[in-house]
Amino acid sequence: MARTTRNPVVAAALALTVVAAAFAGWGGWSWYGAAQDDSLAFAQKRDEALAAGRQAVQNMNTLDHRDLKGGLDTWEDSATGDLHRQLVDGRREFERQIQEAKTVTSAKVLSAAVTELDDRAGRASVMVALRITVTAPKGEPARKESRMLGELTRTPQGWKLSALGQAPVGNTAAE
Amino acid sequence: MSTTRHLINRQRRLAGAASRSAGPTAAPPSGDAPTADQDRERTPARDAGRTGGKRAQGRAPAAVKGTPGKACAAVKGTPGRAEPDGETPSRGARAHRAGPPAVLAVLTVLLGGFAAFAADRAADLRDRPAARNTALTDIARTSEVKGQVTTAVEAVFSYNFADAGALDQAAKTHLTGRAVQQHGEMLATVVKEGPKQKLVLTTTVTASGVEQIDKDRARVLVYADQSNTRTATKEETTYAAAMLAVEAVHEDGTWRIAGIDTFGSGS
Repeated sequence: MARTTRNPVVAAALALTVVAAAFAGWGGWSWYGAAQDDSLAFAQKRDEALAAGRQAVQNMNTLDHRDLKGGLDTWEDSATGDLHRQLVDGRREFERQIQEAKTVTSAKVLSAAVTELDDRAGRASVMVALRITVTAPKGEPARKESRMLGELTRTPQGWKLSALGQAPVGNTAAE
Repeated sequence: MSTTRHLINRQRRLAGAASRSAGPTAAPPSGDAPTADQDRERTPARDAGRTGGKRAQGRAPAAVKGTPGKACAAVKGTPGRAEPDGETPSRGARAHRAGPPAVLAVLTVLLGGFAAFAADRAADLRDRPAARNTALTDIARTSEVKGQVTTAVEAVFSYNFADAGALDQAAKTHLTGRAVQQHGEMLATVVKEGPKQKLVLTTTVTASGVEQIDKDRARVLVYADQSNTRTATKEETTYAAAMLAVEAVHEDGTWRIAGIDTFGSGS
């Protein structure tokens, strides 16, 4: 008799504790699994590279002749490696051209994708579809669409463009 | 008197349980039946021999002789146990009884709390937009989408006046939903003028990138070159650069184009 009156409380409490422990174990395992999941980590890195690529390509297609220094500094900030060197080398010549033309260029990213991502090597390739608007002192603003292909390199300051160019036209279908 | 006997029996059961869990030589279950008071008192030696512990040996003779004083002392010397209910427990016994369920309750709350927290963290990690998008992370699916969308785009944007039916066939194979109408409008001129001008339109995808894959839906950015050749009078070819984003859906084992985004301009 004594045992049957004592048991239900402790047994029920124990059963609840065991169930709670099981859930806690499962929850902890699931959390650990998600935190260690390589593809989740890779997805995060892909989106970081994409965001950096979009911004950098947009920066490189934005320039206001009234703020040449700020604009070109942003260009150099967005680039690294060969591209950075080209920008620095050509800066003076380019400044003169823009001051003469007095253009304001702005860009809007229409769509973008990461096509390759090598996390270890710190390299990524991006496609960025742009709409560029160039406003000259005279005449209507000119709009054009631009198919950009960029190479990103990871630097201590984050992903930066190491190469940028337009996708070539007509060469594959020509022959 | 009866209290003492119950306590002794309980001690014995605990000791028996300890020895059973300690070794593979388990005692017969019948020997542990809670109502077998008489049995137990008749076989103290067996119990003592089985447990082999100092405490059990000390208590076994006490039970046989029925000396309540010694048994009670043994009980009080054993910490952390529940007491039997309803049979004039002492104040110390009442405190013992409140212990285990309270500890278990606290444990349950702590464990339950952790379980809820951990499950929430895991769900948060897995449900982030970055995690839902399996472009590039699922290598096989990414290359499957890329390949099939490339094939589809090249097929539905190519036309040869010599085989005008091929375009319809390609549209049936590769298009679904809204894309059927979009495609019809985009190629209306080609279909109309094609036979007259002896048109050959060839589309080649030069680059493509998977922006997003969310289960059976995907979005692919495509750069394509188009060559348009009129052979009716004198042969002339024009080239055009196109960029478009394709929404693809996976149905019946293949990716079909469900929507075409030309970013507000003609293809």
